[in-house]
Amino acid sequence: MSGKRDEPPSGSDPVSQPSAPPDTRAEAFREHVEPELEVMLRVALSLTGRRPDAEDLLQESLVRAYKALDRFDGRHPRAWLLTIVRHTHLNMHRRQRPGTLADWDALGDPRPAFGANRQASAEDTVLDGTLDNQLHDAIRELSPKFRAVLILVDVQDLSYAEAAATLGIPVGTVMSRLSRARDRIRRRLGVQTLTPGRS
Amino acid sequence: MMSLRDLVACHWSARRIQRYLDADPSAILPPQEITRLEAHLAVCERCSQLTAEHRALRRALESWSGAVTPDEASLTRLRSVVDELSRQDRS
Repeated sequence: MSGKRDEPPSGSDPVSQPSAPPDTRAEAFREHVEPELEVMLRVALSLTGRRPDAEDLLQESLVRAYKALDRFDGRHPRAWLLTIVRHTHLNMHRRQRPGTLADWDALGDPRPAFGANRQASAEDTVLDGTLDNQLHDAIRELSPKFRAVLILVDVQDLSYAEAAATLGIPVGTVMSRLSRARDRIRRRLGVQTLTPGRS
Repeated sequence: MMSLRDLVACHWSARRIQRYLDADPSAILPPQEITRLEAHLAVCERCSQLTAEHRALRRALESWSGAVTPDEASLTRLRSVVDELSRQDRS
């Protein structure tokens, strides 16, 4: 999956359209939502940090998306759905700081994920062995707002616009936070760790 | 010692390397900037090294074991919610 191929959302207010007949409406809902369920769940896991909470959040988000379907213009369904997930999450957890993800202790799950489909190449295996623990520490040291964009874009593979929709911040803010987060981690890990064969 | 011109070229390039590697649709570099950047990377060891570090960091983050990933059972339950919502509308 790569969110990078999607176009960014053009605006925050969906265009109102006349109600579709029930069958068409149900089909449109399925068509928009089913391809995005996995990315929605990954984002919900990042937002909540706990699997049961992520599922609750998504169930509520799906109900809201269904109710709002007539006001959706059909463009950029992923960004539309992630915006609904963010609003639902804020309503369910009003104490969470905007623009951040779950607490680190909940997020940093070191267990191999069930259902994870990651085909590690030989190069990845070497990288995992050398970098993984240091990467964990470096990400832990980031402030929550920098960590949030780094995880959504570089770990969860969202586009800038999708990360912006998830966090409720402008795309330019995503870019500047991402750049600073990467630079901090790059400096923390050092040249020898990141590119041992080159330096 | 680097000339002022080289310093300016490195500064200009360093500000674009991440956007170049990301190629995100929200912030695509114009073709002429891509050409200029690639020409600089071909001759500048310092910027070429910086680019290699960003590439390595991106690969490491993509395969980072701390990522929280969804499980198939959760996805199956959520697909059932989609089915249920769709059925309600038909009935």
